[in-house]
Amino acid sequence: MNGVKKVSFPSFTHYNYAFKYFMENGVGARYIMPPQMTLRTLDRGTKASPDYVCTPFKTTLGSMMDCLEAGADTIFMSMGLCRLGYYGELQEQILRDMGYQFDFVNLSEYSTGKRRDYIKALKRLNPRMSVAKMMLVLAETVKLVEQLDEAEAMYYKNCGFEKVKGSCKTAIKRYHTAVETATTGRELEAAYKKFKKEFNDIELDKPENPLKVGVVGEFLTAQDAFSNLDVEQKLADMGVEVYRYLNATSRMFHYKGKNLQVETSEYCKYDMGPTSTINIWAAKNYASHSFDGIVHIKSAGCTPEIDIMPVLHNISEDYKIPVLYLTYDSQTSDTGLATRLEAFYDMISMRKKVL
Amino acid sequence: MQKNKGAEPVKKKITIGIPRAMLYYRYEVLWKNFFSILGADCVISEPTNKEIIKSGTAAAIDEACLCTKIYLGHVKSLIGKCDYILIPRISNFGIKRNMCTKFEALYDIACNTFRKTSQKFLTYNVDVIEDCPEEKAFIEMGIELGFSKKEALNAYKEAKKGETESLKNHLKANESLYKKNGLKILIVAHSYVAMDSYIGKPVTDFLKKLGTVPIMADVVDRKDALKRSAKVSPTLKWELSRELVGSIDEHIDKIDGMVLMSAFPCGPDSMVDEMIIRKFRGKPILNITLDDQDGTAGLETRLESFVDILRFKGGTL
Repeated sequence: MNGVKKVSFPSFTHYNYAFKYFMENGVGARYIMPPQMTLRTLDRGTKASPDYVCTPFKTTLGSMMDCLEAGADTIFMSMGLCRLGYYGELQEQILRDMGYQFDFVNLSEYSTGKRRDYIKALKRLNPRMSVAKMMLVLAETVKLVEQLDEAEAMYYKNCGFEKVKGSCKTAIKRYHTAVETATTGRELEAAYKKFKKEFNDIELDKPENPLKVGVVGEFLTAQDAFSNLDVEQKLADMGVEVYRYLNATSRMFHYKGKNLQVETSEYCKYDMGPTSTINIWAAKNYASHSFDGIVHIKSAGCTPEIDIMPVLHNISEDYKIPVLYLTYDSQTSDTGLATRLEAFYDMISMRKKVL
Repeated sequence: MQKNKGAEPVKKKITIGIPRAMLYYRYEVLWKNFFSILGADCVISEPTNKEIIKSGTAAAIDEACLCTKIYLGHVKSLIGKCDYILIPRISNFGIKRNMCTKFEALYDIACNTFRKTSQKFLTYNVDVIEDCPEEKAFIEMGIELGFSKKEALNAYKEAKKGETESLKNHLKANESLYKKNGLKILIVAHSYVAMDSYIGKPVTDFLKKLGTVPIMADVVDRKDALKRSAKVSPTLKWELSRELVGSIDEHIDKIDGMVLMSAFPCGPDSMVDEMIIRKFRGKPILNITLDDQDGTAGLETRLESFVDILRFKGGTL
């Protein structure tokens, strides 16, 4: 069909909707929504992956297989500052060795920092793409990502205190559905407004001074509910306000690394890795705003996140704030996590009563 | 080592501690020359031994890679024995010429891990994308030590000359190994793994004992290797891995087999080794992951059977 591709990007939390909006309205390609990841996704991904690569490699690889199964003929893969930057090429190689046939657009190949190279990558998805239209929709997509992130932040802050069980979930699900079907910026705007109103009307039963937990961690595992076994929901359900500064908005669109570095200079002199500065800053920020605890989430073997752990130890010591370190691999069990979270919750709630 | 004739003697001689781990094997000559020209003394930590690994493991995060643990062990062994401990921060040498993020973080890891000691650390920051090339970094480091800009620049230039010279000799000696008789086995490993006396050295020593010729892949014409690696794997972005891949590409016809050796759980190697296995078909490859386990019997069995396979293939068994 005129070289227009059926594109998929491996599943990554609510950004799936943003990709869809951008690909369909901006680039003019068809977007195949990546199927919800399941244990089968992880299983297949793990089997095809090298042993001790970080877990997101395995889930994204599994998700790529899911996407191809769902009808995509082209996979779009991101670049990245850590191992993520090499994901694409190795995943393509693995899938091709397995016998899959597909087109692969790897942003890493185009990451020269020049705008025209990125446009080249997008033109492979639709040779007749209008650059002007794409740029316009890109701006709308950025706005959409900001709204999705904000909606999520509102959700995890409040969903643990709803009077009617499930009312928050219903609201955000309805919002996501509206976003998924939207085709114009105006529709997106309306959907967000509607969500905000609906969400603010939800009756809450929140104590005056609720437990507050801040989440820091690796970009994918900390954000993607499937990858972290829904840890934020589990925490919230115990009656905790859950905050996470790290998201695409803060790390990609409004990132002021140098300024964050100034504010964390007593702990580190340099930027230690892709998400290190933002996480250290966030952890310090939670600690100095008298949060009750910090949860650090990463996949097994994530080098940058392992590297900031000595800093988190020191922040924990200086501000007397408990930190729970969670490492996810392809065999992490739901029950094990629940037990650790419960113990953590008990500890911080007892601490709050005493202090 | 070179002596600097012109420089004034430093009022109080500074002692710089250099951990014998990680990038030491890559920058040994440059560092030693630079400091000795400036008139500072260098203390190098002992070759890795059990004690060092033990104390490093205790200091490091459990999940950190073996090389980090070894490194922190070396740092710890130097604490109190020198004025400064040198821990560079090397981020990249340009686009697609990155170092593992570990090298971006190493300085801050050490500072945070050992912040209760009064030890001072010395660093320099190479980050070409952020306009911080090596020369500038060394000048800044010299100034921090109390030397003038000119002294630091001269010392750097002189030291760099020595480094280039030594690399050339090293390369020449290494290239001659490819012409030797006997089974030639390419050791594909970072220098800080292959040369480490506790983890990598026993492997090469054992291969020698078996009568084979182990050859280090990382001793290679670096510029040429980078070019070659871009052809083999275009988005590969780690400088050290690119040198290794380029070296394999250059020497694949001259060797009988390869041993991929990495320390558990090395980030770049976890992916690059897989890519090497998938890209370079036709030569036997042994993939070894090293950890700090003591028993060498299992490793020796694997090496022996690998060499047997090579001999069998070559018809000499």
